[in-house]
Amino acid sequence: MEALISRRTAQWVCNSCSRSVRRQSLLRYASTTTRAASEPDIYDVVCVGGGPAGLSLLTALRSNPVTSHLRIALVEAQDLAKNKSWTLPPDRFSNRCSSLTPSSADFLDKIGAWRHLDRSRVQPYQEMQVWDGVSDARIEFEWGPPAAASGSTTIAYMVENLNLTSGLLKRLDELSGVSVYDNARVERISHGRETEDGLDLTEWPVVHLSGGKQLYARLLVGADGANSPVRSFAGIEAKGWDYGRHGVVATLELEGSGWGGDQMKVAYQRFLPTGPVAMLPLPGNYSTLVWSTTPENAALLKKLGPKDFIAMVNAAFRLSTVDLEFLHKQGGGQADEVAWRFQHKHVDPATVPQTVVGVQEGSVASFPLKLRHADTYIGERVALVGDAAHTIHPLAGQGLNQGQGDVQSLAKTIGFSVDHGMDLGARMSLEAYNAERYAANHVLLGVCDKLHKLYSVGSGPLVPLRSLGLSAVNAFGPLKGFLMSQAAGSGVKVL
Amino acid sequence: MKASISRRATATARQSRRHIRPSTISIPSICITTRFQSQSTTTSNASSSTPPPPPPYPSSSPSVNASEISHFNALASTWWDPHGSSRVLHLMNPHRHTFIRACLSSQRDPAPSHKLRYLDVGCGGGIFAESAARLPSTESVTAIDPSAEILAVARRHAARDPALRGGKLEYLNATIESLPEAREEGSYDVVTLFEVIEHVDDPASFLERCGRFVRPGGWLVLSTIARTWTSWFTTNLVAEDILGMVPKGTHDWSKYINEDEMRAHFAKKVGWSSPRVLGVVYVPGMGWKEVAGSEKIGNYFFAVRKDPAEALVEREDMAVEQV
Repeated sequence: MEALISRRTAQWVCNSCSRSVRRQSLLRYASTTTRAASEPDIYDVVCVGGGPAGLSLLTALRSNPVTSHLRIALVEAQDLAKNKSWTLPPDRFSNRCSSLTPSSADFLDKIGAWRHLDRSRVQPYQEMQVWDGVSDARIEFEWGPPAAASGSTTIAYMVENLNLTSGLLKRLDELSGVSVYDNARVERISHGRETEDGLDLTEWPVVHLSGGKQLYARLLVGADGANSPVRSFAGIEAKGWDYGRHGVVATLELEGSGWGGDQMKVAYQRFLPTGPVAMLPLPGNYSTLVWSTTPENAALLKKLGPKDFIAMVNAAFRLSTVDLEFLHKQGGGQADEVAWRFQHKHVDPATVPQTVVGVQEGSVASFPLKLRHADTYIGERVALVGDAAHTIHPLAGQGLNQGQGDVQSLAKTIGFSVDHGMDLGARMSLEAYNAERYAANHVLLGVCDKLHKLYSVGSGPLVPLRSLGLSAVNAFGPLKGFLMSQAAGSGVKVL
Repeated sequence: MKASISRRATATARQSRRHIRPSTISIPSICITTRFQSQSTTTSNASSSTPPPPPPYPSSSPSVNASEISHFNALASTWWDPHGSSRVLHLMNPHRHTFIRACLSSQRDPAPSHKLRYLDVGCGGGIFAESAARLPSTESVTAIDPSAEILAVARRHAARDPALRGGKLEYLNATIESLPEAREEGSYDVVTLFEVIEHVDDPASFLERCGRFVRPGGWLVLSTIARTWTSWFTTNLVAEDILGMVPKGTHDWSKYINEDEMRAHFAKKVGWSSPRVLGVVYVPGMGWKEVAGSEKIGNYFFAVRKDPAEALVEREDMAVEQV
């Protein structure tokens, strides 16, 4: 047993080496099929999905002395060696970025992953500007003097998802001890069997990989995204709806590093009837765009040449919704139209992001927006984390943070089980995780959904009411502070 | 050697099938009053300080009673149902480990550096026995129960977990009286009696017998429920009759022993010291909470340490001086 573990440890030394070791071990497996058939390959935790949620969970388990002795396997369809060595020149940024709250960053720091991120590519921001595109009512989020004095002025950190994944992989590499099956396809998940010597594994999930490898799981973790095969295996339904909206993302270059320079970065979000458009700061003159809009508008934006696309983005933060609607109907020539309209429309430059002057080639992409919430996060020997458990509207930038919150809670729950001799995969041992996360996520999903619906209305009685709401919130310090703390993940937990 | 012991124990157990023990739970919340009652609830003479001559392998046991056995046999199938009648026991289990750790760390002399050997008396479906066997700090767990039916459930359940294989966890169909004392006496670091003593007919002789299996410096750890109006109200009336949380007939209130009676019992015994107590309260929807002082009104943990070998010697010296 000891020898087996240390052999597996060696697998994770470095990825190029590990692959050759893995090939060896697969060969060994193949040559001892009869033995392997009678002796199941048993793990304490098998995690399907090597995205930020799955990797954070395994890192948390490996870095905690209470759980570091567990036998852990990771199954991932992509090539993790490529993800680990991910790098881009300083003037290029991935278009998939996330806003990490300070509490997520603290967690990543605690498990030793934060220092493995390329920090020169991480951008903290200290202010948020949010306004209603129809009425122009506005709310400004910035920390007042008390918070500034305590030094915690960061609302959140903009991080490229691949930077996070790469950092987590490097940290896992350093910790070692995880059996990694990447470039691996899950063919099916079944239940185990009773062995000849009386071991009853009929309630244990077994992950069948292409190539014949079978992994028995005391706990099977679904970190396998919105269409989670693990969730289907567990028979857990995910309910929700599609918004009929797409999120358009792009990496933008601005005329400068922002109105406040590098020390005071601002995130901007304008609610348009078609959905919110947000510009979030990256290092230097760069920003990332998340524009939720109709599938037709999204298709047009992706089709436009760089000049017209840039003009549309600048217009989205400045022109009226009527103008925008008109511009979306033009097959091209938006640059000239927008330039002409800007001559007649005065906008206080300090209230909108600096002018966009470039868009990174190939960075414009879109994805459909949905809300999904699994009926439960746990089953017998199954736990769901991240997008497998919930998919949220991106307007609050909370998706990845929710996943980190899940992982933190699940790792704590597993640690408690191990410390008290409980079977960490038994449903009863997982109850604390479900209780802690389900209600909290449900509230956030609901709030973001209601916000989306509230601001999707272009005219009528809701518009002045919601503007009144934003202005009132802006004027009322304590409430604003509370909302901001929630956004930063540092506030009092309501649930 | 182990194998021969277990064979022998099983054999003796087979001769004495009519035994029992098992589980308890309450949901106390307020204190009313404490009624005092003499400790011995049966005809046995076992509460005297001289131990009764150990009957070789009794065909009937002073500790167990037939109606208790049949009651818990009926519950066997639901023992591991997370939403069944044993749910409260599952929820209590982590606190048992917390309490044992508190006992071990309270020792002024260093805690044992070796891995621990447990004897779990009245193991039922194995909730505690399994969890103790999973801990890396455990050498072995011997778990005994007089009900063959419940042990079958325990064994079947343990067979579902590969971590419990390899001889670390051993179930024996036995009572504490039928365990072969000559082989096992004084060899366990921790002897546990969780939710057992309130189902026993002659608690004093039962404790006496269990105590012999504790090694010098080891701990006798138990949990039970105080005999108060509150506990009658919560365990018999509310939990059994009104809420139906716990099956009817689980509790015989008159058998409950209070924490001060427990302490008084061991204070009179030579060779036992460092009594510890911890009250726990079940809050519906939240689980068990440790509440100081609640041992007076409801469920509580109690532990007492067998004096280490050196202390025994000292005490003997003192005794000599006094003479």
